[in-house]
Amino acid sequence: MIRAARSRHASLLSADELAALHAAGLRILERVGLELSLAPARLDALCDLGLRREGSRLRFPSALVEEACARAPRGYRLCGQEPALDLDLGGERCYLGLDGSATEILDLDSGAPRPSTRADLAAALRIADGLPQIALTWPCVSAGDAPPAQQPLHELEALLTLSRKHAQAMTVVAPEHARAAVAMAALVAGGREALRARPILSSFQCSTSPLAYEGSALEAALVFAEAGVPCGFWSMTIGGGTAPVTVAGNAALVHAEVLAGITILQLLCPGAPTFYGTSATMMELRRGGVCCGGPEDLWLASAGAELAHRAHVPAAIGTFASGAKASGWQAGVENALSGAASLLAGAELWPGAGLLASARIFSLEQLLLDAELFDYLRAFAEGPGVDEERLALEAIEAVGPRGHFLGEAHTLRHMRSVWQPRLLDRTPWDDWLAAGRPEAADRARDEVRRLLAAPAPDPPRFAAELHALVEEEARRLQP
Amino acid sequence: MSETHATLVELAQKLYAGDAPGVLALCKRALGEGLAAREVLDAGLLAGMEVVGRDFKAGELFLPEIIVAARAMHAGIEELRPLLAEAASGAAAPRTAVLGTVKGDLHDIGKKLVGIMLEGAGFRVLDLGHDVAPERFVEAVRVERPQLVGLSALLSTTMPMMRTTIAELERAGLAAGTTILVGGAPVTAAWAKEIGAHGFAPDAVSAVERARELLAARGA
Ligand code: B12
Repeated sequence: MIRAARSRHASLLSADELAALHAAGLRILERVGLELSLAPARLDALCDLGLRREGSRLRFPSALVEEACARAPRGYRLCGQEPALDLDLGGERCYLGLDGSATEILDLDSGAPRPSTRADLAAALRIADGLPQIALTWPCVSAGDAPPAQQPLHELEALLTLSRKHAQAMTVVAPEHARAAVAMAALVAGGREALRARPILSSFQCSTSPLAYEGSALEAALVFAEAGVPCGFWSMTIGGGTAPVTVAGNAALVHAEVLAGITILQLLCPGAPTFYGTSATMMELRRGGVCCGGPEDLWLASAGAELAHRAHVPAAIGTFASGAKASGWQAGVENALSGAASLLAGAELWPGAGLLASARIFSLEQLLLDAELFDYLRAFAEGPGVDEERLALEAIEAVGPRGHFLGEAHTLRHMRSVWQPRLLDRTPWDDWLAAGRPEAADRARDEVRRLLAAPAPDPPRFAAELHALVEEEARRLQP
Repeated sequence: MSETHATLVELAQKLYAGDAPGVLALCKRALGEGLAAREVLDAGLLAGMEVVGRDFKAGELFLPEIIVAARAMHAGIEELRPLLAEAASGAAAPRTAVLGTVKGDLHDIGKKLVGIMLEGAGFRVLDLGHDVAPERFVEAVRVERPQLVGLSALLSTTMPMMRTTIAELERAGLAAGTTILVGGAPVTAAWAKEIGAHGFAPDAVSAVERARELLAARGA
C-alpha cells in the first residue's frame, strides 16, 4: 500500500568536503553558539549537562555534541495505523510525504489561489490516502477557517481521521499544542503506551535562523519526546538572508542548528528517536523572495542528507516544492532534479508533494504530478537489474538479425514490469490534438475530479471521540 | 540642466556603490564647499538613489546591493538632517515608521528588509521586532506618533492578529492619525482592505513606493 524508493546512495560530495562541512558546523556550535529563549531553570539544567552559557547564548562543546548525537537511534519505525503502513527509517528506503503547510490552494475550477479551509485539507488527505506513493501525511494546507489558536489541532484531527498513514505534525510548535497532540494520537493508538510502542505520530521543530530556537519550540519537542513521539529538528535557512549566500556556509549553518536541537534532545531525553530536517534554499536576489529550486538547492539537499547520515540520524529533506506558480515546465524541471538529488543522497523522508510558489500554494493537481514523478524516480532507483534472465541472451539468439521481440515469451514475461505513466503523455499526435492538446496538469485535474467524485469512506470508529477531545482541548486554548 | 557639481557626481557614485563612509565624507566635503544641504540631498543622494532604483527594477542590481545603498543613503541623510530642518523645507522633518511582525509570528526577514528600504528613503524606523503584541504597537504609536505603521505576518494563524492589532489601534484612537501598511507572503490587497489597513505592498521596494503614495495622498 506504500511505495518507497530504494535509496541509491551515490555521494556527490567528496569525503573531504563532507568532513569540512561537519567540522564547520561543530565550530559554529562551539564558538558562536545559539540563542535559546528557554526558562532559566531549563538553561541551568543544560549547563549542568555540559553546555556553556553566557546570558541566553549557549555554546556547545564539540565532544558533547558528538557524544549526544551518538545516543540517537540511526533507524526506527514511523508507524501507520496498521503495520502494513509502517515506514522504516533505517536508510534503505526513501519515502515521499505530503508537503505543507500552504495558506492557499489553487481552486480546482477557477485555477486561482484562494485561502484554504478544513474542507480543502480533507479533500487533499482523501486523495493522498489513496496514493501509494504518499507514505506519510502533513497538513498540506492550513485549516484557515478554524480559529487561529486551534488550527494545529484541527489539522491533526484531519490527518488522523482521513488517512491511516503515519501523520507528521508540522504546525504543532508550542508545548500546550504538543500536549493536546499527544493526547489525540494516544486516543487513536489505543493509549499512551500503545502510542509509545507504535508511534503513529511524529513531529519536528524549526530553528529560527540564524542560530536560535524559540523556547516554546524546544519545550514542544520535549513533550513529544517524553511521550515517545519521534521529534526531528529542522532548519529552513535562506542563503543571503538568514544564512550565508554560499552553499557551503549555508549548509554548515544548517548543520549547526539541527545538531544543536538533536544535542539538547539527547541530553534531556537520551535515545529519543529524532531526525535531521532541512529545506534550505536561496534568497531570490532580485526581489527578495525565496527560490525553492535551483542548482544551489540541489547541493543544499545533498549536503543536508549526507551530513544527517554522518551524524547517524535519518534525513528529512525538503524535496520538490518548486518555486513555479503553475504545474508547468518549471515545476517539472525543478522537481525532477530535486527528487534526483534526494534520491542520490539517500534522504529517508521527502516532504514533499503538492506545493507551488515556493511552498505557499497547494495544488491537488500538483500532488498527483509529484506522486507520478516520485514513481518515475522510484522505478529508476530500482536499477536496470543486470542478471542472466534480464540480459535476455536466449531471446536475442532466438530472434536473431532482422526479427522482432513483440511476441517473444521473454517480452511477455517482463513487459508488465515496464514502468507505466498515468499522467505523462504518450498518446499518438492525433489523439492529443483531438483531446484539445491537454497538458499534464489538465490530465491531473481530470484525475482529481474523478477521485473526489468517489464516495467518501466511512469515518473511523474513533472519529467522534477524537472530535470531542479536540473540542475540549480547543476550549482550553481559547481563542 | 545645469552642470552637476563634481563632488555631488562623486557622491551619487559612492551611494550607488553602497559606500557609507564615502557617502558621509562626501556629504561633509560638499557642505564644506558651500553647497546647500537641499542640493546635496537632491543632486547627490537622491540622484544616486534614482539610478539604484532604475537598475534594480531592470534586474541589474541585486537586493543586497540595494540594502547597502539604502544604508549609505541613511548615513548621508542623517548627516544632512539638522541642516535641512534649519532650512525649514517641510519635507525634511524625519518621517517615522513603526514596524513589527505581529504577535505569534516569528518571521522577520521580510519586515527587516522593508525597514532598511524605508530608512534608505529617509524614514526614521522603529522596528519593534517579531512576535509583537497589539499593546506594544499601541504603546509605540502613542509615544512616537509615526506617519507610518507597518505590520508583517507570514502565517495563516497570525494574519487575524493584524486585524486585532488594527482594531486595537482604532480603539486607542490612533489609527486615523497614521497610515497602516501591511505585508508578508500570504497577505493580499484584498486582505488589507478587509481588515481596515490603508495599504498593502508585495515587497520591500514597492513598500517604499506605496508608503510614499499613501503619505502624499494624505498630505503627510
Ligand atoms: C524562512 C521561513 C521560516 C523561518 C523564519 C526565520 C526568520 N528569522 O524570519 C522559521 C524557520 C523560523 C519559520 C518558522 C515557521 N514557519 Co515558516 N517559513 C519560512 C519561509 C520558507 C520563507 C519566509 C521568508 O523569510 N521569506 C523571505 C522574505 C524576504 O520574504 P517575505 O517574508 O515574504 O517578505 C517580503 C514581502 O512579503 C514583503 N513584506 C513582508 N513583511 C512586510 C510588511 C509590510 C508592512 C510590507 C508593506 C511588506 C512586507 O516584503 C518582503 C521583502 O520583499 C516561508 C515560505 C514562504 N515562501 O514564504 C515559510 C512559511 C511562512 N512558514 C510556515 C510554517 C508552517 C512555519 C512554522 C509553523 C513551521 C514549524 N513547523 O516550525 C514556524 C512558525 C513559527 C512562528 N510562530 O512564526 C508556512 C506557513 C503556513 C501557514 N499555515 O501559515 C510557510 C508558508 C512555509 C510552508 N509552506 O509551510 N519559517
